[in-house]
Amino acid sequence: MRMAILTGVALVVGSAASLAAIAFIELVSALNTALLIAPRARVQWESLPGLVAVSTVLVPTLGGLIVGLVHRHLSPAKRPLGPPDVVEAVQFHKPLPDLRSGLVSTVTAALSLGAGASVGQYGPMVYLGALLGNIAHRLRLGVPHLASIAVACGVAAAISTAFNAPIAGVLFAHEVVLRHYATRAFAPVTVASVTGYVIANVVFQRPALFRIEFAGVEHGYEFALVALLGLLVSLAAIGFMRLLLALGPRLTASIKWPALRTAAAGLTVGLTALALPDVLGIGTSTLRFATIDGAFGLGELVVLIVAKIGLTALCIGAGFSGGAFSPSLLVGSLIGVLFWTLVSGVAGIPSSGAAIFAISGMMAFASAVIGAPLTCILIVFELTRNYDVTIAAMVAVVFSNLLSHRVFGRSLFDVQLARRGIDFSLGRDHAHLAVLKVADYIAPGSVTAKAGETARDVAKRLSEQGWREAFVTGADGQLLGVFTPGSVPADSLVDTRLEPAKLVFHDDTDLAEAMDRLRGFVGDAVPIVSRETGRYLGAVSEADLVSAWLDEASRLRREENASV
Amino acid sequence: MRLSELLALIACLALPAGAEDLTVVSWGGAYETAQREAVIAPFEARSGTQVTITTYDGTWSALAERGKAEGWDVVDMLHDQARAACARGLLLELRPDALFTSEELADFTPIKPGRCAVPQNAYARVMAYDDRAFPGRKPTRIGDFFDTARFPGPRALQRSPDGILEWALLAEGVPPEQVYGLLSTDRGLKLAFRRLEEIRDDIVWYQAPGEAAEMLADGRAVMAAGYNGRFFDRAQRAGAPIDIVWDGRIIGIEVWAIPASTDAPEAARAFLAHAASPQSMAGLAMRIPYGPTRHSAFDRIGLNPDTGAPMRAYLPNAPQHGGRSLVQDSRWYANTEALRTRRFRTWLGAKD
Repeated sequence: MRMAILTGVALVVGSAASLAAIAFIELVSALNTALLIAPRARVQWESLPGLVAVSTVLVPTLGGLIVGLVHRHLSPAKRPLGPPDVVEAVQFHKPLPDLRSGLVSTVTAALSLGAGASVGQYGPMVYLGALLGNIAHRLRLGVPHLASIAVACGVAAAISTAFNAPIAGVLFAHEVVLRHYATRAFAPVTVASVTGYVIANVVFQRPALFRIEFAGVEHGYEFALVALLGLLVSLAAIGFMRLLLALGPRLTASIKWPALRTAAAGLTVGLTALALPDVLGIGTSTLRFATIDGAFGLGELVVLIVAKIGLTALCIGAGFSGGAFSPSLLVGSLIGVLFWTLVSGVAGIPSSGAAIFAISGMMAFASAVIGAPLTCILIVFELTRNYDVTIAAMVAVVFSNLLSHRVFGRSLFDVQLARRGIDFSLGRDHAHLAVLKVADYIAPGSVTAKAGETARDVAKRLSEQGWREAFVTGADGQLLGVFTPGSVPADSLVDTRLEPAKLVFHDDTDLAEAMDRLRGFVGDAVPIVSRETGRYLGAVSEADLVSAWLDEASRLRREENASV
Repeated sequence: MRLSELLALIACLALPAGAEDLTVVSWGGAYETAQREAVIAPFEARSGTQVTITTYDGTWSALAERGKAEGWDVVDMLHDQARAACARGLLLELRPDALFTSEELADFTPIKPGRCAVPQNAYARVMAYDDRAFPGRKPTRIGDFFDTARFPGPRALQRSPDGILEWALLAEGVPPEQVYGLLSTDRGLKLAFRRLEEIRDDIVWYQAPGEAAEMLADGRAVMAAGYNGRFFDRAQRAGAPIDIVWDGRIIGIEVWAIPASTDAPEAARAFLAHAASPQSMAGLAMRIPYGPTRHSAFDRIGLNPDTGAPMRAYLPNAPQHGGRSLVQDSRWYANTEALRTRRFRTWLGAKD
């Protein structure tokens, strides 16, 4: 029965997400043509250069203004939503932000991309897929974690449709969104991913995103070169992500009105595009040029890489709706070509052509940004269907990930989430324990005493409740110390000789930290004190914390190992 | 031209405003002969309508100048020219859903009947070579046109940027669906001309489309770019050792349209419905290798009535041809003509 439900949900969500992804791509493409962003549309107005120039500047600027206004007035979330929101919702089994914010975010993403902002299309497509899967939250079908699985199905189908890459779709959903490989999730996600692939390929016969012909790697040392490229690309990716994260707050501080931020970013894109039309939009043609030997001069490459990194960070930081993945592909491939130009053109080392370095660089950059090395390797394999290229790209991807993980963090998403207090850097279980606050486990029966009470009264209460220690508070509620019966004569006041608490938690202490600090602790309860006021809030027993920890660990284990 | 104008004039005067008479305008030569046999004669026999055939040069401006005066009722046009004529109001609006059922409309490939035009056949710009020139290894891909090391010898090329720029990018490994997008950028044009530059010294230019096959036959060139029908004619009827490489073929579409000035719109529409039937398309394709634009017509195509050649193999859009093919983007073509011509002339004039 569960099998049928899971398969049914996967089929429905997979088809819906796939169709939505196709509709999204078509909408963006139609907007690009209508708004003279696509080169194929621009060239047909070549006889009126003034018109093209004016539209190049105005379209992204006005697009930015509208995107900003729409977020401000129509979206409850007031910001674009993306993969980090999906990861958060799936990890903690809660619904995505409200439907309206999600739809607004999708529309503004189409508008941002349509108007040529330097953002990516995959983030919004992933969110759109997740949004469709999220509907399963309303269903009560008796399958644990069904909604999270359904969201992952939507994500997998969107990726599978977008890249014509069903295997990468499955891996992305597990590697980035679910972060485990339970059969209960794996099976439906695979079904959804294949559904997306069938719809894109068999029903609509959409062309592959990135076809390439490649004869093979000719020289063994090229693998070493590609590894070096991976490290270099990783540095650029780290710079890009740092810039992106730094620009957002700076812009917020300097331009008060949100719609003006996006408009200003759009204007910058438009003005840059007058001299460098390659920076507009997703840059599909530029991506293709990167695989052609000698399509770019050395100077052009450097300028284009710097411009694209800067503009993408600016657009996302300013609040355009869109992802960082497609610009990453573009920048990475350009760095790959730059590397190739230097190695083969300047240093004169023979190589098998620009394409292999372009693809390796592309995936090395992208995997550092989204933190999904397996997905990136599989995308190369599925897009090119070429074994040699995949192996070369794999080398670049791992070396890039090694460095970026060490220096920056696992991915842009994870660092964005960490800034919201959800830290996956020590793994999924740590992140789960970190959102559980010890304050939620305050034992109702813990014994509190006021300064001035007699030791006898307090000892009596302690023996009634079965506790060995009482926490003594002062006049304004602050914790004075710990009273243990027998430490003072029964007639004296409890606060004559108080022991200081061996361990104190605060109201924001989480379970992960608490378990860490409990190591070596002897006693039955730990007091919790407000970090702001210093007031005593209650105490948690060690036993309660341990069982909370065991419960969570067992819940995670069940989720990660669930069969059907 | 004079004679045909005179004939048309006489026809107009002799049979004024007769709903039973049609003036169909086409291109002359072997193509018109095939049309007369496969499409027009059966139509006359079935409907009793008298059809007069006139020829023109294929441009929308000729339609504007002569259409009304000569009483044209149906015109055979290139798709991009029909598009231009339609935009200028020279053609009657057709309402395709009134002419065809929805199943029939779905049968059309690669384009559907539009506002002013009904697709009638597909021709292709292809690369052909002299079989005698390459006794061992034969050219198989469009990239071989640019590979003078493996396939040395002069290349016959029409003195125009049409087609060759697409081939240059295909030879760089660009997939067909991206060719026009890339050619729309300055970088794409530069890359295309860079490729063309590699064979500059091996190009022999020609002007009239018929010359390509001639140059291959008489040894002035070992490879040539041209229309598939011309190469077919030369090879089949004159026995020239010409082979066609289908990889990289650029498919263009020929359409039927009705001038806005027609005085017999109903008969003209009846003619269109007949001419766009699978039978008519298959009949034409059996006489000259211009492929049908409907799926269902392919199965009806048999042997050429004159030479006995099995015609399916020679059609530009035959389903069995592998390799890459490109459907010409007629709107892009019309709107970029000035740019492409300008860049082409600059390249021709540049001396490296």
